[in-house]
Amino acid sequence: MIALRWLMREWRGGELGLLTLSLVIAVAIVSGISGFTERLNRGIVAESHRFLAADRVLSANKEYSFAWQQQAQQYGLNSARLTEFQSMVFVGDAMELVAVKAVTPGYPLKGALRISDEPYAEPYTTADIPAPGEVWLAPRLFALLGIEPGGSLSLGDQDFIARRALVEEPDGGSGFYGAGPRVLMNAGDIAAANVVQPGSLVRYRYLFSGEEGALDRMQTWLAPRIDDRAKWMTLDENQPTMSNTMQRAERFLLLAASFGVTLAGIAVALAARRYSERHFDTVAVMKALGADNAKVMRLYIGNLVLLTVVALLIGLLLGWALQSGLMFALRDLIGFDPPSPGWRPVVVGAVTGAVCLAAFALPPVMSLNGIPPLRVLRREVGETPAAGSSAVYGLIGIGLLMWWYAQSWVLALAVLAGMVMMMAVTSLLVSQLLRGGRRAGMQAGSARGLAFAALERRRHSNAFQVVSFGLAMMVMLSLLALRTSLLDEWQLQMPADTPNHFLMNVRESQIPEVEQFLAEHDTESAGFFPMVRARLTHIDGIAAADLPDVSQDERLLTREQNLSWAHDLPDDNEVIDGQWWQSGEVADGEMAQVSLEKDFAERLNLKVGSVMRFDVASLPLTAKVTSIRTLDWGSFRPNFFFLLQPGALAPFPKVFISSFYLPKEQKPALNDFVRRFRTVTLVEIDLMIAQAQTIIAQVSAAVELVLVLVVLCALLVTVANVRASLDTRLQENAILRTLGGSRQLITRSLLIEFALLGLLAGLLAAAGAELSVYVIQTEVLDLEPSFHFWLWPLGPLAGALIIAAAGYQACRVVVNSPPLAVLRGL
Amino acid sequence: MKTAETLLSVENLCRRVSTAEGELHILRDMSFEIKRGETVAIIGPSGSGKSTLLGILAGLDDSTSGAVWLHGTNICTLSEDQRAALRAQHVGFVFQSFQLLPGLTALENVMLPIELSGGRDARDSARQYLERVGLGARIGHYPRQLSGGEQQRVALARAFACRPDVLFADEPTGNLDAETGARINDLMFAMNDESDVTLVLVTHEPKLAARCQRSISIQAGRIVADSGAAEPAAS
Repeated sequence: MIALRWLMREWRGGELGLLTLSLVIAVAIVSGISGFTERLNRGIVAESHRFLAADRVLSANKEYSFAWQQQAQQYGLNSARLTEFQSMVFVGDAMELVAVKAVTPGYPLKGALRISDEPYAEPYTTADIPAPGEVWLAPRLFALLGIEPGGSLSLGDQDFIARRALVEEPDGGSGFYGAGPRVLMNAGDIAAANVVQPGSLVRYRYLFSGEEGALDRMQTWLAPRIDDRAKWMTLDENQPTMSNTMQRAERFLLLAASFGVTLAGIAVALAARRYSERHFDTVAVMKALGADNAKVMRLYIGNLVLLTVVALLIGLLLGWALQSGLMFALRDLIGFDPPSPGWRPVVVGAVTGAVCLAAFALPPVMSLNGIPPLRVLRREVGETPAAGSSAVYGLIGIGLLMWWYAQSWVLALAVLAGMVMMMAVTSLLVSQLLRGGRRAGMQAGSARGLAFAALERRRHSNAFQVVSFGLAMMVMLSLLALRTSLLDEWQLQMPADTPNHFLMNVRESQIPEVEQFLAEHDTESAGFFPMVRARLTHIDGIAAADLPDVSQDERLLTREQNLSWAHDLPDDNEVIDGQWWQSGEVADGEMAQVSLEKDFAERLNLKVGSVMRFDVASLPLTAKVTSIRTLDWGSFRPNFFFLLQPGALAPFPKVFISSFYLPKEQKPALNDFVRRFRTVTLVEIDLMIAQAQTIIAQVSAAVELVLVLVVLCALLVTVANVRASLDTRLQENAILRTLGGSRQLITRSLLIEFALLGLLAGLLAAAGAELSVYVIQTEVLDLEPSFHFWLWPLGPLAGALIIAAAGYQACRVVVNSPPLAVLRGL
Repeated sequence: MKTAETLLSVENLCRRVSTAEGELHILRDMSFEIKRGETVAIIGPSGSGKSTLLGILAGLDDSTSGAVWLHGTNICTLSEDQRAALRAQHVGFVFQSFQLLPGLTALENVMLPIELSGGRDARDSARQYLERVGLGARIGHYPRQLSGGEQQRVALARAFACRPDVLFADEPTGNLDAETGARINDLMFAMNDESDVTLVLVTHEPKLAARCQRSISIQAGRIVADSGAAEPAAS
């Protein structure tokens, strides 16, 4: 009870303001960021499942007759099936090769179809699929076939009404299955149309969505019933580029939130330190009046626990408001309905509050235990709190929070080591730098002299301040640098003009004509790459069919493959074993050299030095593996498993492959293209690229926002820090004013002093950030490390400005008050 | 009725501290007794050791050797917590710098020692004492809203509210002007007369010392004069 009464009294007396504010903001920021990240993450994961049109997909080459649908229903899962194949459609004399997708009701399980009543009219979302006897066509197919919506076409043995234009399908980019414009039909019409015959090349996709556990049970149930050529797909396997982007974004958000936790912790520690310093006299009086150590501690710890509970409740409420507000403000940018926040932010906020209490707030308050009652008679007794042990507890707290938050010991230890290093180096450096010869007196003749003398006089507490300013700024600068390199990477990965159409089977003689066509439509190809079809027959003299230690599935890789050649290593390829050929064309009588893609080589146990034999149009070709490469599948440029030395494929018939970017409004031009180049296969991946770009824009927006939140947190630390150091400065300045120092002199000297501290902290922060960004880029985010020139001027400049502004703001009221009022208030 | 029983007894008390220049003797071999109900002034120039003596007598500081018996207990052998318990029961303080807690109102400051000693009716009792010192109308004010004299009156109310056996006052009017100081002294002696409290005050003001029944003069850590244990006068 006495703790509660004490809390109320302290609260009314205004002693708890900054500490409460720090605790509330710590909990609010952490639960807010956590809630926001959690919702965004879950939202984006759910959103990215649109790429599959489901949570999981079983992809197979045959139709399963067992009761998979009933089983899915039993597990509480939604399910649907797609049948994909190529076919011809006819309208009178006009005919087109099309990519047909026949769907069962329920499709798509994730995402939605967008259709329009007329080709190229405003699209709308629908939950339906084509009715039996009807089909929906890609907009440009209407023009190709010369029909209007409502017109009739033949597919297989049946006539269909072409009812709507199909503008968007969520899984439009799930692999290039079949070339040609899309026809969407009802799966119930397959039998009547008689389009799928035994032996037809058909792909079946079984879609499932629902709870994770149920999906896992479904996978287990299916495993013994399907053949090993069928594939159970998650987003990771289906969309490696997206999955990679998501993982990096998630790691960045976690990292940012962990930094937020750290900053909030430092703010709490600083506020608690100031609180305890202001209670030295109170504790001494209480002890003099007969309170023993246990009673004093019970009172203060009880007080802190109560305060934390109150701060926790307010902080959680504010955190909830923060993330709801962010979600509301960003709903257009995010473009989907975020799922409900769940309990995680509450737990994260509560644990953060508890750890902040135990690791950051308690140690300075516990140090009050050592204040002797004699202080009531001699004020100088018991002046210094145990800063060393407080720092140790704080570091343990930061380590635990980071580990818990980011679930990575490596990250927690790396950040801790960085902090300890920064603290040690900074303390040493700053106390030495600020030493500069003891100045006599206050040097009150000029603002600059006064500021320098003050810096030197308080060099130990200034070193502490520079460390905490520096830490806060280091976090800010690191996140800024990481965000920049992450966004640059994403932007590079999928720039606005990423090729969104592929051309295959282009004959050499057609290349100038195709290039001219593209130029007429204000675009150009990403280059034409030669391609020769071949079968891999032997590896090191062993027939491909008899390869040991290679599964049935992998043996399929020896089927027809595309070989190409190149003089130079393509830009986004990297040789990881062996050497790229230095000589030009393959010389007469020499064995050709071949460079292999890494995963392919691993699956067939191929190494540098292996000899491969191909069958090219019934002619043999032998080549020796001289290098293994990694390549970037996310680049959307043609990539090859096999690259041969120039000249090796000269005798064989070849076709060319290319890609180009075509903006959406130019889409009808493809009809002319298809009519002019009948033999060229056109693969449209524009929808998939557009979807990926949307997701990247969403994730980028999230990264920016979380950065802003963490920067706010860092500013809080700075303000708490400035306030924590005010008492001594104000006392000295009040005395100076009493002795005739002008307000202007004092304001200027304070500004210079804070700006210099900020400059120093900013410089050290830039160095710390450069180092930590290097570690995080290489170890956590798998990015190429980079040097950030802009950090070096920005750090000191921002440090000086922010800290001078915060210092001025904090001192302004007091500098303008009568000196006696200031002295009394201290 | 006051009795002549010994309340505080000092035997061969020494206090030394080590400095860069060698050992410094702050108190040297002091011995004296104070009877219950006595009013004693410890006087001496600045730096003579009188505040150190007060600190040791009140159990706030440690001696180097010797003994201080308060209520029959040698406080020099007690732990800090045991001394705190003893202070809570028997000791009150008035300080030169008032030592009011800035976050508490006048009423709460007075309630504090009563609450710490587990006393009941802290609020009513504190209110009565504040009325006694003439601050009944300002019980809700914080120390920063009170003048120096008013703050010292709150401190007096706090000192007497826990009904101590002995009240230690360290230069109680040292921070006040003469007129206000005189009023505070009048109040302190009046309240002392009303209660059965032994008063030990440290001062360098001869006028204030003269109001006490006994004066102990200190110079360079030694007792140079002791007006002797006066016969306790009937109040």
